Amino acid sequence: MRDWLQKWSKETGWKGFDVFRQTTRIPSVIWAVTVAAWLAILVSTIPSGWEGYAGKGLWTIFALSLALSLLSMAGRLIKLWGEHLKAPEQAVRVTWQLARIIIVLATVLTLLEVWGAPVTAILMAAGILTLLALLVMRDIGPDMVAALQLSSSRHYVVGDYIKLTETSEEGYVTQMTWRSTIVRDSSGAVTIIPNRKLVRSTIINHGHPTKKATEPFRFYDRSHLQELTGLKAKNLREFVDILKTVPDSVVYYHTHHFLEEHHYLTPQPSNDFAIWVDEALGDEVLAERLASVDTFDFTTLQALRERHVGIIEDYLACGGSLREAAEGDEFHFVKSVSVIVPTPYAANDIREFLESLRSLSPGSLYFHVFESRLRLGRGTNDFSAWLANSLGESDLAQKIASLDPYSYTLDGLRSLLTQLIEKEIG
Amino acid sequence: MKITDYEPIVGKNTIEELRLLGSKLSGKVVQNINSTFTGGGVAEILSRMVPLLTDLGVDARWNVIKGNPEFFQVTKKFHNALHGRKESISKQDFALFLETNRKNMLEMELYGDILFIHDPQPAALIERKKQLGKKWVWRCHIDVSNPDEAVWRFLEHFVVQYDAAVFSAPAFSRPLPIRQFLISPSIDPLSDKNKELPEETIDATMEKLGIPRDKPIITQVSRFDYMKDPVGVIRAFELVRKHIDATLVLVGGGAADDPEGEKVLAEVKERAGGNPDIHIISGPARTDIEINALQRASTVIVQKSLKEGFALTVSEALWKAKPVVASAVGGIPLQVRHKLTGLLSHDVEGTAYALRQLLSKPEYARWLGENGKEHVRHNFLLTRHIRDYLLLFVTLDHSEDVIYL
Repeated sequence: MRDWLQKWSKETGWKGFDVFRQTTRIPSVIWAVTVAAWLAILVSTIPSGWEGYAGKGLWTIFALSLALSLLSMAGRLIKLWGEHLKAPEQAVRVTWQLARIIIVLATVLTLLEVWGAPVTAILMAAGILTLLALLVMRDIGPDMVAALQLSSSRHYVVGDYIKLTETSEEGYVTQMTWRSTIVRDSSGAVTIIPNRKLVRSTIINHGHPTKKATEPFRFYDRSHLQELTGLKAKNLREFVDILKTVPDSVVYYHTHHFLEEHHYLTPQPSNDFAIWVDEALGDEVLAERLASVDTFDFTTLQALRERHVGIIEDYLACGGSLREAAEGDEFHFVKSVSVIVPTPYAANDIREFLESLRSLSPGSLYFHVFESRLRLGRGTNDFSAWLANSLGESDLAQKIASLDPYSYTLDGLRSLLTQLIEKEIG
Repeated sequence: MKITDYEPIVGKNTIEELRLLGSKLSGKVVQNINSTFTGGGVAEILSRMVPLLTDLGVDARWNVIKGNPEFFQVTKKFHNALHGRKESISKQDFALFLETNRKNMLEMELYGDILFIHDPQPAALIERKKQLGKKWVWRCHIDVSNPDEAVWRFLEHFVVQYDAAVFSAPAFSRPLPIRQFLISPSIDPLSDKNKELPEETIDATMEKLGIPRDKPIITQVSRFDYMKDPVGVIRAFELVRKHIDATLVLVGGGAADDPEGEKVLAEVKERAGGNPDIHIISGPARTDIEINALQRASTVIVQKSLKEGFALTVSEALWKAKPVVASAVGGIPLQVRHKLTGLLSHDVEGTAYALRQLLSKPEYARWLGENGKEHVRHNFLLTRHIRDYLLLFVTLDHSEDVIYL
């Protein structure tokens, strides 16, 4: 047997034979001495009572030495197997623990049998206890097995950004335990995903973030309330005189109100001035001129106001109509009051940014793209500013800044931004 | 009803936004005060809104003022006069109004941090403001664009003492020295009037009302009132009928206790002249479910009013994705954007032309109906109304146009 093993290990390059040899060298002496002592007892004339005890003692020595040898052998063989298969440390450790438990259990049972203990009863009790333990651990068991699979497959590790395609759960892996994998999303919310769910899911692993932002992007939500100014105009002269003096928030309201109300519908928003001139004054020519003012060309509300005022004054100077709106059809000047609230969402890198962008509320998207650029006078949208200044993604920032957001529905705009970023990060 | 019940309709973002705004009102009590717990549009809105505000974490309460029948007769006259109808209101009427309000001032516990006073009946409670402080808002649910000047002047004396006033449409407001906000009314998508109905319910209702479904159905749901121009609707239908086979349904309840309504109904019946394609449904008020089913079974909905308040029946029709032809009066143009979310008309011929367009181009009609539904989803549902109220409450502590919370 020994020779055959030696030969086979040489042929296959298996190092297990060395382990076998090393771990049986000293115990084999003990076993030989034990067998010799037992034979001596058999041929001796000592009383049968003593003979029984001596036999049991020798069996005990034999079993214990065998157990120690097997423990040592199993430990080394499992380590060898782990190195050979490049198995994760955790998997090797678990296998070793299992082997140790089995050897110790078998030894204890053997000793009990040798010393005449009621092994059947003990085994039954142990079986019942095991069943009970399995019953209690029926939820944990599949997760533990799944943890072994996940650990050995190494599809993802702590720090990776993962997404479950079936449930859209996503975020950075912060911890992997026996029961679950813990994932944190851009709002800071932590999702605990049971391991058994993960092994049954399709997981996209985006890996580690490529670049961390110097400052996180904080998302704000924005709602607005309409405040009546009490000012109204029934003809163009009254209209233009009032338009010159109202606060910027009024100009902002009437150039963005239609877009806000119909953001789902039309990629070609008109402004309230053009709609009123067309519908209440019936002046299609002037309405067309006002509607054609490209809001995206302006970075301040004052300049936008001057453009509208200029068009109407030119029109009036050239003898444009001063027809009056019917009663009830006057133009009512309304002011937009914006209420801006920080959301829990923040992005530290482009992956988190993309994730938040997908689920951003229309109010938040609107605020960062439209309101920040024109109303708050930041000159560009918040996304481009952050991408360029905090992430160094100048090209992407420029691509987004040059998009005319007024040409898209909000959902269309979101989808376009998402595509641009996905293309960038691959 | 819980706020999460609305999530499948308006989306998770909207509910999150409401919760976020609601959290900014933590620790404040919003006390609503009106004149009745039951009956009327204001009570209906409050009965739905107060529990939802509570669900959003806002401490919203609702109290009513007490008054004898004479007081309510006076406020009814006020209501009509503010709508522009001629009413004879005596000095004693004004005195009774004041006396009842002052009595309530003494008896009522005014504990809110924000006192939200609805309509003219409790408007004079503002006299307690000097003593109590707090924020006071007057919510005007009625159209006061052309009021009886004497009644308005009387009321204005109280209104100007509020911190802010809220109107339903720009044209409904008045020049006032206080801040005025525009908050449109809304419909509840989960109410019997607007909820989804199984096809069997619609079939059963149409069978019960005796309306065949073999032809396109044009419907106007409005009480029989000259201002709703039911005769104009019949005339427009007759013009349509020259080219397209269709059925007209005019449905309106409550005519029995309204002398003018009976007169209008008689004229409508006479104008219909026994035309079997015209179905006039009057008599006892129909249930909300029946009206809902009738609207859903209709091909086109008409609202050919000569004068209107906000006309939420238009939003109700749009919410059912129905193409709508409506007059450009009152709050209707806010709901119907011509050629985008419906068609606006100005007279009988215009209404007939619009109806013909919709009946002969079903794809266009469907596109308008779907747009209309989205328009209502974003702008005229109860959740938007709640959001506006939350914004109003948080805005009261700020004077700037861009508020960071």
